[in-house]
Formats: sequence, structure tokens, C-alpha cells
Amino acid sequence: MDDTKPTLVLEHVTKRYGEFTAVNDLSLQVRPGRVFGLIGPNGAGKTTTIRMIVNIIIPDSGSIALFGQQMTSALQDRIGYLPEERGLYKKMKIGEQLRFFAELKGLRGKEADERIDNWLRKLQLSDWKEKRTKELSKGMQQKVQFITAVIHNPDLVILDEPFSGLDPVNVDLMKETILEQKAAGKTIILSTHQMEIAEKLCDDVCMINRAHKVLDGRLREIRRSFSRNAVALQINGGDGFLNDPALVANIRQNGDDFEVLLVPGANPQTLLKRLVDAGVDVTKFELVEPSLHDIFIEKAREAA
Amino acid sequence: MRKLLAVIRREYIQRVRSRFFMVMTVMGPVIMLLFTVVPSYLARIKAGGPTRIAVVDESAKLYDRFRDALMTERAEDETESQQNAPAPQVNSNQQERMKRTAQFSEQGYTLERVDRAGKSLEDIKRQLSERVRKSELDAYVIIPSDILTNGKAQFYGRNTGDVFTRETVAGRLSIAVRDVRLAEEHVPPNVVNELNRKVTLSSTKVSAGGEEQDSGGGFSVVFGFGLIIYITTLLYGQMILGAVIEEKETRIAEILFSSIRSFPLLLGKLVGVSLVALTQLGIWSLAFVLFALYGVGAVAAQGVPISLPHIPAMMFVYFGLYFLLGYFLYATIYALIGSMVTTAQEGGQLSTPVVMLLVGGLFLAFPVIRSPNSSLAFWASMFPFFAPITMLVRIVTETPPLWQIALSLAIGFATAVGLIWLASRIYRVGMLMTGKKASIPEVWRWVRKA
Repeated sequence: MDDTKPTLVLEHVTKRYGEFTAVNDLSLQVRPGRVFGLIGPNGAGKTTTIRMIVNIIIPDSGSIALFGQQMTSALQDRIGYLPEERGLYKKMKIGEQLRFFAELKGLRGKEADERIDNWLRKLQLSDWKEKRTKELSKGMQQKVQFITAVIHNPDLVILDEPFSGLDPVNVDLMKETILEQKAAGKTIILSTHQMEIAEKLCDDVCMINRAHKVLDGRLREIRRSFSRNAVALQINGGDGFLNDPALVANIRQNGDDFEVLLVPGANPQTLLKRLVDAGVDVTKFELVEPSLHDIFIEKAREAA
Repeated sequence: MRKLLAVIRREYIQRVRSRFFMVMTVMGPVIMLLFTVVPSYLARIKAGGPTRIAVVDESAKLYDRFRDALMTERAEDETESQQNAPAPQVNSNQQERMKRTAQFSEQGYTLERVDRAGKSLEDIKRQLSERVRKSELDAYVIIPSDILTNGKAQFYGRNTGDVFTRETVAGRLSIAVRDVRLAEEHVPPNVVNELNRKVTLSSTKVSAGGEEQDSGGGFSVVFGFGLIIYITTLLYGQMILGAVIEEKETRIAEILFSSIRSFPLLLGKLVGVSLVALTQLGIWSLAFVLFALYGVGAVAAQGVPISLPHIPAMMFVYFGLYFLLGYFLYATIYALIGSMVTTAQEGGQLSTPVVMLLVGGLFLAFPVIRSPNSSLAFWASMFPFFAPITMLVRIVTETPPLWQIALSLAIGFATAVGLIWLASRIYRVGMLMTGKKASIPEVWRWVRKA
């Protein structure tokens, strides 16, 4: 881990609802200027964790420190939060609504108005400023909601499923915007089920399952550690060479493509050499790192 | 503090600008009029024209007097109710009386004298009964010849359930019989009039400040005041309920709670809606005052002396304070209900106790009026939910010591703040658990845990 002071530190945080333990002894660190992915199956305790971070609920035990201080309601103004449960006032005009949320975050006057206009322009919503929420499409409401999370220029932005309900164009727009926030030095916590997107955006990942942390660290390192010595192959002729239990543990075939899992400790170069020596036409030979998707499923299965 | 203001401003502006508010502001007085004037008007009119009564006067002495008594009924009733008005004018003004009689008979009674013309009483009765059946008559009265000694007469009608007519006939006939008896004892008519004159009672309140003229208007003012609290609470309580539930139904709660604590949030909502209520009431009372001034001016211009109930200035201060107290207390109950439920419908079901508390306060006002210094009155005026009405009744009747007033106000406002605090805790936890109905033990856990 880096030497830079973490933005957020959770230490042995536990939250119970009656008999049910939503989060159990969770410790994690979120470092500044990075995108931190919080992933896990439904009901794993992600939302509870986030709610504790934004001070909506208070942990039964453990401590949460933000920017090196114990959590207080004053610190809430430095957090931007896009909850999974979206909600806007149905009858309020978009402009007024954003103004209200900005004021709730301590922003006011001309500055608030200017920022609102800038953000609406950026997310292509300027024409909708005087419209009421109910006149907007779901995707538009989603973008408005995103603005409420960043309007006050918070140091920590927490986004819970920010891509749900967006079309591909807007998904790209949202990704771009998140990376811009990161470039501006903000710390971002991203909770999502869309693993391909998380894979592209996140620097660090923490996975929670059944209230426990099951995975935590830099995404690159995690993927490397999960490398199962797998090779993606495309060959013409002679797949009999693969039937060597001393070298190959398992083969999956999809048409011309093979996914070959080598036995632990085996060298992929041995396989390549054997194929070349046998005169097999190799059109693709790729060492495969598991996707976040695979890791997620493996971890989720492990716990089940 | 700034956030509180933001919440207040949003609640206020959004609501005042809504079409519902505008419609209510205009329609309010109209509805009020419908509820106050129309029922009393309805009670007076009798559908289907005057009641037609035939009279068989066997004594041959009573018909004229009975007719006079029946036709002047309204004039007499009005004199009774106008004890404080300059009454003699009305009594002595015969022309006026005639006018009223004419007007009265239009929708009241038409009398018909039936001559026996040699027929037997049985024949007459059969004949009249036949006419009643044919709806040519509504009823008939047989006045026997010995009525002056016996005091009995018979009423035959199609609709004996019409108590008003029966009572009226009995009452007026008694007057007629009494007058004839007096005349037979040779009592001169002016003496009869003199004997019949009613007593008017003028009341004077004796208080620490000396004697002052008080026609009892204070009571009606307090009752009116109680009604205003009642109506306001019912009217805006629902609005508060809606405001509190709004974020639950729209799921805005999470964002709000990530930005503001629940106490200022709830307080802001309460104050915002209250300001809406005050704005609306302000507009209404301004309209009412203007209307009243115009009305009083118009009446005064016709030379009718008007005496407004005398209310000391301090009373207005108390009215203001207790109105705010009453409104706020009940509003917080609605907020509390709102914090426990997830939909407005559920909230509506739970708000019955509010109405019961309000009505309880109004009922307690009666024993308190009769003995404003009893211990019942004391405790009733200390109990925060009854105080707005009961304490005002005490102030108007026998003003209690200042410390009692101050104490009841302090208890009241402390209760309101305590309720807001309680509500804000329930609100915070309950809001994040949408879709689940809360049981009482669960709510209690929320309060302790939040």
C-alpha cells in the first residue's frame, strides 16, 4: 500500500439489525485520488457499509475515520453520495431541485447557480432545467441525481450503481465524468454489479460477501494472484497433444477456441513448444488473467 | 441553521406555489360559508310550502287569538333571542310585526276556520280527515268548547312526526287560552301585555380590574377559537403528514440524511408547512376582516347600533400564543405519525387519536366554563393537548394567576419540542426501512437506537 494518508479508514466495523448481521468486522482503507470498487452479491452488506460511511446509520462497533477525523455531520458536506435508491421531488423543477440539494450541502448564492448550469451543460441537460422531474426519462433523472452528488465539489464521491438505466452513450459519458473526477483528485467509491465497467474504472477493489470482506487490494494484483495458469488457444489440427494429465488439468472448448487450464506449477512455454514441435498451426496463444467477473463468481461460489 | 432554512424555504415555496394552495385559498371561505350558513338556513326552511291547518273552534272564542299567536311566532322568538338588542323597538313597531307576519305565513302556516254549520262533529271530522288524505290539508285541530276549563284539544295530522308543527300548535294554543282566560277575568289588554313582558338579563363580569360590561361574547369567542384550532389542525395536519411521508415515498430520504440531521429536517418541514398555514389563514382572516368591516359599516349606515364584544388587548396575545401552541402540538403528532408509516393512507388511519384529543379538549371546555377554578379545570389546562382550549376558557372566565398560564405554555411548548425530537429519531430509522410496517416495540427500538 502507498504511504499517502488514506481518505477513508474503516476499522472492525460491525452493524447488526436484530439477529441479522449486515456487516461483520469490516476493515478497509480507501486511498485518495483513486477509484475504489466495492463489489459483492446482492445482500452482501454493501449498502449498509456505504450508509455507515455517509453517516446515515451508525455502526454498532468499530470506527470510521474520514480525512483523518472521526465521522461527524459536518464532514458529510465533503461527501457526495449517489444512493442506489434514486429519488427526486416529482413536482419540482430540475433547476430548483439541484439548488435545494446544493443548499443542503452548504452551497449557496451565485456559485451554486453557476455550478448547476455548468453541470447541466456538461451532462446535456440544459434544456431541461425548467422541467419537472416527472417529465424526464429515467436516464435523465439518473444524470440529474448524479449532479446532486457532485454539485458541491466533494472530496469523496460515493456512487452506488451509477450506470443502471443508462443507454451505452450515457454509460460512456458517465464513465468519462467519473474519470474526470478522479483526475481532479477526488476519491471515488464505486459500487456496481457491472464487472466489465468496474474492471475498467477501478484501481482498487474490495469484495464483500455475507457481511464479510473476502477480497481487498489493487485490482491488478488481485487479478495476477487469481491467475490460474490458463491459456486461450486457437489451433488447427492435433488437439490430442493436449491430453497430457502431467501438463493439462482441464480443457474447455468453444468452437475453435480452447481454454486450457494447466496443472499448478506447469510452464505454459512447455505447452507452446510441444504444439510447435508437433507442427500444429497455432493462430492464438494467450496467457489469460481471470476477469473480475470470474473472480467475483469464484469468490461468491466459495462462500456459498 | 442554513440547512434548516433551506428546508423551510423549499417546503414553503413549493406548497404556496402549488395549484392546490391557490384553489384552497379561494375555496376555503366559500366552503366555510357552506358549512356555517347553509345548515342553519336549511334548518329554517320547510320544503313544500306552508303547513295548512284547519281549525274547528267549538268554544268560538279562540280562533282569532290562536291565529294571531301562530302568525306572530317568529317575532316573539326573535325578541327572546335578542335580549341585549334594543328590543322595545321591535315589539312596539306594529308595522314591522305585520311585515314579519306576512313573510312568515308565506312559508309557515295557513289557517282555515271551519264552521260547523249545523253538522255533527263526527261529520266534520270525517270530512276534514278526507281532505287530509287527499293532501288538501296537512292537519286539523279541534278546539272543544270546554278548553278554557279542561285545557285539552285534539290534533289530527298526516304527519304526526312533524314535531315542530305539533309543538308550535300546542304552544300557541296555550297562549291563546291564557289570553282568553285573562280577558274573561276582565284584565285589561294593556295589563296583559305588561304581564307578558319578558325579563332581559344584562350580565357584568366582576374581575380584578373592576366591573366591565360582558355580554358573554367571550364564550363564543373561545368556542370559535377552539373550532379554528380544530379545523386548522385537520386541514394542515394532513399536509404535514404528506410532507413527512413525501421523501419516503419518493426515496429521497437517503440523500437528505447524507446531508442533514433528521431533527432540523423535521423541524424545517414543520415550520415550512406552518408558515403555509399561517399565510393561508392570514389571507382568510384579512378577507374576513375586510368583509366584516364592510358589513358592519353597511349595517351601521342604516342606523342600527352595533356593539362589538369587548375583548381586552391581552386576550389577543393569549389567543395568538395558544393558537400557535395548539397548532404546533397537533402538527407534531401528525409528524410523529408520518415518521412511523410509509404511505399517506396508513397515516390517515392512525390520525384518529388526534381528532379524539381535539374533541376531548372541546368537551372539557364545558365543565371548565362552569367551574374555572376547580382542580379539574387546573389539570385540564395543564395537560398540553387540552390546554389550548381549556386554558383559554379559564382566561376568559376567571383569569387564573399568571404562573399557571406561563406553566401551561411552558409544558405545551416543551411537549411540542420533545415530540419533534422523538419524531425525528423515529423518522431517521423508519425512513430507511421503507415497505415494512412498524410495530410499536420496533418503533421503540428505533427511538433508543437511532
